[in-house]
Amino acid sequence: MSEQVEIQPTTRHEGHGKLVLYVDDEGYVERAFYLNTSAIRGFEAMAKGRPAEFVQVAVMRICGICQATHGTASAEAFERAMGIEPPRDGRLLRELCALGNRIQSHVLHQLLVLDDFVEEEKEKVEAIKRIQQIRKIGQYVVDVVGGEGIHPPNIRIGGMAENISESARKRLYRRLREARELMEEQHEFMREIVERFAEENDLDLDEFGRHDQPFMATHPTYGDPERLDLDRVVEVLPIEYYGEEHKEEAYEHNGQIPLYDGVPVEVGPRSRYVVFDGVDPRGVLYIHILRSQETLAAIDRCLNILEELNTSGKTLAEWEPRAGTGVGVHEAPRGTNVHIATVNEKGIVEDYRIIAASTWNFPVVEKAIEGEHQEYAEVIMRCYDI
Amino acid sequence: MVRLAYVQLAGCCGCLVSLADTYERLLDILDEVELVYCQTLMDEREIPECDVAVVEGAVCLNHEECVEVARGLEEKADTIVALGACAATGNFMRYSRGNEQSAPTHEAFVPLTEVVDVDYAIPGCPPAPEAIERFLTLLLEGKTDLLEPFAKLAEGKTEYCGCDLMYHVVNKNMCMGCGTCAAACPTRAIEIVDGRPVVNEDRCIKCGACFTQCPRTIWPGDDAIKELVMGGEEE
Amino acid sequence: MSELKEIMVKGDEGLLGEHLGVFTARSTERRILRVTQDGGIVSSIMVYGLEEGKFDGVIAAVADPDDPEEPWKPRPVVITDPDEVLEAAGTKYTYCPNVSVLKEAVRSHGCERVAMVGTPCQVRAVRKAQLLPVGMRHVPDKIELLIGIICMENFPYEGLKTMVEQLCGVWMREVAKMDIGKGKFWVYTDDGEVKSIPIDETHPFEGEPCHVCTDYCAELSDLTAGSVGSPDGWSTVIVRTEKALELLEEMVEQGLLEVKSIEEVKPGLGLVEKLAQAKKNKNQKEIEERKELGLPEPGKVHEQL
Repeated sequence: MSEQVEIQPTTRHEGHGKLVLYVDDEGYVERAFYLNTSAIRGFEAMAKGRPAEFVQVAVMRICGICQATHGTASAEAFERAMGIEPPRDGRLLRELCALGNRIQSHVLHQLLVLDDFVEEEKEKVEAIKRIQQIRKIGQYVVDVVGGEGIHPPNIRIGGMAENISESARKRLYRRLREARELMEEQHEFMREIVERFAEENDLDLDEFGRHDQPFMATHPTYGDPERLDLDRVVEVLPIEYYGEEHKEEAYEHNGQIPLYDGVPVEVGPRSRYVVFDGVDPRGVLYIHILRSQETLAAIDRCLNILEELNTSGKTLAEWEPRAGTGVGVHEAPRGTNVHIATVNEKGIVEDYRIIAASTWNFPVVEKAIEGEHQEYAEVIMRCYDI
Repeated sequence: MVRLAYVQLAGCCGCLVSLADTYERLLDILDEVELVYCQTLMDEREIPECDVAVVEGAVCLNHEECVEVARGLEEKADTIVALGACAATGNFMRYSRGNEQSAPTHEAFVPLTEVVDVDYAIPGCPPAPEAIERFLTLLLEGKTDLLEPFAKLAEGKTEYCGCDLMYHVVNKNMCMGCGTCAAACPTRAIEIVDGRPVVNEDRCIKCGACFTQCPRTIWPGDDAIKELVMGGEEE
Repeated sequence: MSELKEIMVKGDEGLLGEHLGVFTARSTERRILRVTQDGGIVSSIMVYGLEEGKFDGVIAAVADPDDPEEPWKPRPVVITDPDEVLEAAGTKYTYCPNVSVLKEAVRSHGCERVAMVGTPCQVRAVRKAQLLPVGMRHVPDKIELLIGIICMENFPYEGLKTMVEQLCGVWMREVAKMDIGKGKFWVYTDDGEVKSIPIDETHPFEGEPCHVCTDYCAELSDLTAGSVGSPDGWSTVIVRTEKALELLEEMVEQGLLEVKSIEEVKPGLGLVEKLAQAKKNKNQKEIEERKELGLPEPGKVHEQL
């Protein structure tokens, strides 16, 4: 006989969520529901009938932690819809901007999960200080390149609004080198606390939170619509996914559930490593370590971009509206973020679809929780940086 | 110590990230208050009674829990602060109009100032970290006379957006073309042409940063600037 | 006591704004004096600050006298190279939105110590941005020095053009320098011609928004400079903050500035005070008249909505 347990609101993540768990006599989860209880602000509906430029600005506000990814995916979607080719340096700066965001977002997530792994106040404070130092550098990248650390307005349809100065390039380089050192320390720290947690709780790192869903990623550092076959993607209503027998849960979940080949797929740091590096770490806690490793890789890629960048190069293509449909894909800190725009010949949006990164992972979180003890439900959920 | 609850309604978390962008000072700021609730940062699941509730995000009138939380704030908090344009004045949420799966009835998103009596409203999308820090410092020090402008904005008369800037500053012969609005605009919707702002309405999200930052709309008084800025505190 | 402290005097703070002292000065550098309006104080400070790394960016107005469309129309720039400072020298008697590039300075230019020169209203705008930086993320602590310029009023570009072309009879493109002093508006041409009109004749072209401003001496600056009160080729300098005083003392010590007591020169500080009083009286009256018409009071617009 299984018992129903509710955790609401779930904490230490962005947005509003609720866990409904069906557990057995020993507290092991037989069935988990991870429900998004946030209000639907309706960005897709808001977009209709509005100019492309407004929509690209508005959709960044889907998420205040990873705004750059929405700005980028949206700009890419409109560019493909209207046949616009951003200049090389604009494209590089855009990648740099979103990687700056990836750095700050990844370590911010490490701040949010600290309480799962660290009890001692001093250790926690030290970690927070280091995280804030790294965040400061990540945000410096976004501020300088994107114009604002939160909701960067320089990301434009057609590229980036402006280039950076030569002295800014040098400063960024220097600061990112500092970030790399701090991040190496932070990476070591994450590995230590995760391993310590597994040991103290007698958890098998390779087995804990394991699921058998496929992994999906389109690019290690940017995003690639060529690697996402939209014909194989469907978004279903919660009632379709959970079925009549769980309609109570279904009606509490706000948002649609994206499926690839009819099943939930995991997106995010682990997926990017699985797809592009061929590793296969099945235990869910590895995501923390891979996220950390990916932050180091993001810093390295930023340094490369700064070397490649021509600071006097053109960054923004001029464009005229044209009717069409385009897909923009960007790898958000949390995973594959998809925007699909249809515009008319005046550049007015006729249809807009967003598959935000976290929405892929909601049903995967459920699979990862199932089979584990209920006390770990939120710990597992937080591996995903929802 | 002041008990502070950070409440998130229908928003993006960007205002909290802005607070976190005080970087090395964040821990000092949090040391000055007792943070009793903040679902993004801690495990407390019920909003307790508190001295100050800082609220981010709009109220979705079609979302029962959202309305309930908003309405409950007057009971729970002595002082209510609407942080950021969604809670303060409306922001781009004014363009929400429902009809989206899987909650097509979520349609009306209004600022908190339209739902409960808010004491202070801080526009911006998001408000700058330094603005949040300044606000909290002044509030904790009881220098509420300097917060009067934010109390006035909490009446929620308008969005204080690019249109308001045009109607109430330029159109009233008070714009001297300094360019502050253009710099303040978080979407870069404003360009100064021939000494006056031109607002690109396609980029304006009605966040209120331009109007609030304009030196001609709200002047905090020379004394405050001499004391808090020129007194060397910034260094 | 430094040379500067010895010669500084204090004036009426009710009119000049709070200050540590006032003196008169000019640059000792010929390259600067050759291009500047008066004593070249602002340019000298900017060059020195950038060369010494005290600032890593300077915001000033540059105007191209030969622009085919709009000669002499200033635009704000972020200068990081001391050699470029002199391009921004000289007063432009029309609006230039200096504050609009403040964020750009700390963003795409990556500056961390910015100096800005501005009119009293622009100085006020930046001070407010430091006190209540609602839309000024990471800007407040990057302001290193605010240099104010003494200002009675400003002119819209087309107004200035009318004054120069219609009233003085000189094409904008021919203008080498403009000046206001001794009760007149002066235009110097590239050919060495000098034209002037009485200042009264410029009043119809003054920007109306200037008439609600009662700040003549940029009272919230770190230091203010202007020609009023000092003889030709010299500038009156009002020092307000310790930071500005230290910088000026260094420059005097290094022989970059030649300084004199303002009490030794004509017309002297009395004129600055007299004109400050005139601006305050005239514009306070304007504010009262506007109130009677139901127009908003500057700084209190939000209260009237």
